Amino acid sequence: MLPELAFDKLGADLLLAMCEGHGNVGPIVISKGEKMAKVRTDVPYQLVTILTNIYPFIGQKKLALLCRRCDEKALAELEKRGLVDEKRVLRIGLACSADQIKACRCSDPVPSVVHIGAPGKPAGEDELMNKLLAMPSEERLKFWTAQFRKCNKCFACTLNCPVCFCDDCVLEERTFVAEKGIPPGMSFHLIRTFHLSDKCVECGECERSCPAGIPLLTLRKMAAKDMKALYGFVSGDKKKVSPLLTTLEGEPMEDECHEC
Amino acid sequence: MNVEHVLTTCPYCGTGCNFYLQVVDGRLVGVVPCKTDEISLGKLCIKGYNAHAFVQHPDRLIHPMVRQGGDMRRVSWEEALDKLASEIKRIRDKYGPDSIAVLASAKCTNEENYLFQKLARAVIGTNNVDHCARLCHASTVAGLLYSFGSGAMTNTIPEFDNADCILVTGSNTLEAHPIIGSRMLRALEKGAKIITVDPRDTPLSRLAAIKLNQKSGSDIAWINGMIKVIIDEGLVDGEFVETRTTDFAKLKEAVSGYHLDKVESITGIPKDRLAEAARVFAKSKRAMVAYAMGITQHSNGTDIVKALANLSMVTGHLGKESNGLNPLRGQCNVQGSCDAGGLPNLYPGYQRVDDEQTRAKFEQAWGQRLPPKPGLTLTCAVKDALVGKLKAMIIFGENIMLSDPDITHVEQALKELELVAVVDIFPTETSSFAHIILPAACYAEKDGTFTNTDRSVRLLRKALAPPGEAWPDWKIACELAKRLGANGFDFASPAQVMDEMAKVTPIYGGIDHSRLDSEHLRWPCPTKDHKGTSILHTQKFTKGLGTFAPVHHKPPAEEPSEEYPFILTTGRNLFQYHTGTMTRRSPKLEREAPEPYVEINTGDAKRLGIVDGERVMVSSRRGAISLKAAVTDRIIPGSIFIPFHYAEAPANRLTNAALDPVSNIPELKVCAAKVQKA
Amino acid sequence: MTEFEPTILAFCCNWCSYAGADLAGVSRLQMPPNVHIVRVMCSASVKPEYAIKAISQGIDGVLVLGCHIGDCHYMTGNHRTAKRFPVVQKLLEDVGIDKTRLRLDWVSAAEGEKFQKVVTEFVEDVKRLGPNPLKEVRF
Repeated sequence: MLPELAFDKLGADLLLAMCEGHGNVGPIVISKGEKMAKVRTDVPYQLVTILTNIYPFIGQKKLALLCRRCDEKALAELEKRGLVDEKRVLRIGLACSADQIKACRCSDPVPSVVHIGAPGKPAGEDELMNKLLAMPSEERLKFWTAQFRKCNKCFACTLNCPVCFCDDCVLEERTFVAEKGIPPGMSFHLIRTFHLSDKCVECGECERSCPAGIPLLTLRKMAAKDMKALYGFVSGDKKKVSPLLTTLEGEPMEDECHEC
Repeated sequence: MNVEHVLTTCPYCGTGCNFYLQVVDGRLVGVVPCKTDEISLGKLCIKGYNAHAFVQHPDRLIHPMVRQGGDMRRVSWEEALDKLASEIKRIRDKYGPDSIAVLASAKCTNEENYLFQKLARAVIGTNNVDHCARLCHASTVAGLLYSFGSGAMTNTIPEFDNADCILVTGSNTLEAHPIIGSRMLRALEKGAKIITVDPRDTPLSRLAAIKLNQKSGSDIAWINGMIKVIIDEGLVDGEFVETRTTDFAKLKEAVSGYHLDKVESITGIPKDRLAEAARVFAKSKRAMVAYAMGITQHSNGTDIVKALANLSMVTGHLGKESNGLNPLRGQCNVQGSCDAGGLPNLYPGYQRVDDEQTRAKFEQAWGQRLPPKPGLTLTCAVKDALVGKLKAMIIFGENIMLSDPDITHVEQALKELELVAVVDIFPTETSSFAHIILPAACYAEKDGTFTNTDRSVRLLRKALAPPGEAWPDWKIACELAKRLGANGFDFASPAQVMDEMAKVTPIYGGIDHSRLDSEHLRWPCPTKDHKGTSILHTQKFTKGLGTFAPVHHKPPAEEPSEEYPFILTTGRNLFQYHTGTMTRRSPKLEREAPEPYVEINTGDAKRLGIVDGERVMVSSRRGAISLKAAVTDRIIPGSIFIPFHYAEAPANRLTNAALDPVSNIPELKVCAAKVQKA
Repeated sequence: MTEFEPTILAFCCNWCSYAGADLAGVSRLQMPPNVHIVRVMCSASVKPEYAIKAISQGIDGVLVLGCHIGDCHYMTGNHRTAKRFPVVQKLLEDVGIDKTRLRLDWVSAAEGEKFQKVVTEFVEDVKRLGPNPLKEVRF
């Protein structure tokens, strides 16, 4: 059972998962010995994001969390930047169901160690992405402006993203997102995509939490394709430095600021 | 260390999204959406994501205070409540119970509003209880009570997803009810046609299939015009009209004069576009109307609401899935505060105070004789205070100095009162006139329920302790009532209050906190095994047959003149909320819209030599304010728009307290103004 | 018919390309008037946000000019620029904006003629592309 796995086997002090409660399913954090309601892996919350909200407060405690492959990669990106101590964040490998893999158009669905669920096969390619890439650019622009026109500046994509870590978000700055009110125009989304280009792990949380139904995951996949084509780079590997932080020869740059 | 994720309801708009407040060791650190919540589906708007930001702000009121000399002095709860009780007794003995008004609160829970009106009626002895619904949907309550017998949204929020036509009028849905707006976007993706009728270009109207701009206040004209087209072109739902309604002949006669040329001259809407909209609406199989302040806040608001009811009835778009008339209630619990009887003429559950049998029932339930006459509405209470007829106001959670029309007179009224007691979470423009200030707990610090706009009764769960000495309003109301010698205020918890309310309120009859903890219930829910009601008026209307109301266009109370050539309309923006007490203390929200502004049409600005960002003076017969111009195409020529959130340039200094005779709602949407370079 | 005259924003680094621009001016080389130059200390200080904002607001073309690789006053500044801007170009393409509206090039302090050539060529290229379609888009 999950608590035994987390506390006894992995030696955690805290466990973060999603459970039933009050007629709903939501995140919970329990300590060793506390009771836990039924775990619901069919309602996946972005637990890495939730972890980052409470991480400043957990001191030296070890926290175990349900961890999908994308969550693993997100943790790797955070660890790379010194934002999370890998020794204190213990992963309980969660394999996504076939429906979840399909909904995410996921090409990399199996965590390194699987504790819960059966490993699934990667999904096919993102159909919308292929459709957009085949379109002439005027049509593509029309598609994206129609989508961005619905944006309500709720910041859900930013707040729910596991690798969005800046305290002072550039999207809140008048300098860059000049439009008063809503919709915030194209710069909001392009800036966000650029900032995520070397970090996004395609977990899909942005798309799932967007009230306007904008296909943000497709946009991320397009950016990921670009990074692969330009620099052979794929996010989520702790050992790979972001190509935006290395010289043309691939040497890491002397740098305090990880913002890019 | 303790980490809790507490599932609760949003304190902002009437959509009533549920989310988890993240609390670490008694500190609020964030908000996590609830993915299984039927209303929000795991999405939130920017205010929802920042609903934690103001809660632990240093400005929170934390001690009871009493005015002595010119200053507010900190006192104990004992002293404050004793003083308040003795003042109430003194004023009641000297001037009678009707010299006192209690302002209930659309931001307080159902349980608290139930207690406020019980306090007013059973303890103080007056029906002078009202709240800010008077300013927003009083016309809906009055109008739909006439047409249908019930003033609430007829469908549920999820049903917007499956409408194939949505007529949105007087509602800037994507800014004022973002998550309901997002449902309309889902419908749009599925091919639905959205029709918007608004003097402004809004984020939703930009996506609409048919976008119509009308002159503010001309709504009965275009609605009657549409109905005439529907009748003339044989698009009436004959069966529905025949079997479910009465007085169709009166309606037919009333609209006969609204041919489209006349309508175009009154409203400014091109006739073929209006006709097209009428056809699309009538012919759609699943058509919903969504409306808000643009329809209600007029000196004939009740009639405008009746006109919309006529339109829905004549096309049979009622009582079925994704078919109905949907007033979008603005505040987190304005629906609930009406349901709980925070109204001068209605007991909890919309039962009339002047009905003998109903009154007898409540007299028995509360063990007390009750006043028989309906009391003063909020807007009339202010007017009475001005002339010395009202002597005291006990204000729970409302900032009338910013939200009421014509605030110059509100200020004078407050100064005239012998007793102003304010119960709030932050100091406000209103509390600066108070003799007694009592610190209250906010939504995150108490249990209770809010009822959202689609009649869902939603639980609040206490996530952390109130700051300092602040008490939840239900406790304040009970302690005050006890000091006034009342029985029947010994409640150990809000759940117990709801149990009592359910006993006397048939539409809440089956509601209790333990059911709500795991079930989603919408009223009417008359018994403990009833599952709640999604769609209203499915077999018959609440009053039996729906009544067509022959209503006619009436111009607004104050029209533009040579001296005041612009129509000033007021409203909201996405980032701020009402008088800004909460949002202006939330950094990420304040940052997005930190300054007051007046939207002025590009052509009009050019004519006056005003550039975007320039400081201008906007004045009306009642006052003047200075603010920046936002030059835009988003408002029609001849009209200007000012959001009412900003205390430094209060839009309500300019607005007209012209009241609708039936509902007493003020004409906040139209007055005459002029714009000058500052 | 009036010919389309594009608006171009050129970010030039203080040590190399701005000096090169100066040299072009002093040498009286003919330059198209459409270019608005913004001097920055290093091409790396041109955050992609600036270029993105410029294009979102309807500027027809954005030019970023830095020192030749190996010559950056701040050692690796132009490496950073060289790695970032191709990503921005690809992203513009992904949303349907022609990526050649954003151009990155290297001009040294001594290369007045190269400056003139790059700028003239870029203006011609952008002219051929036509006005930035985002100018017409009303969100």
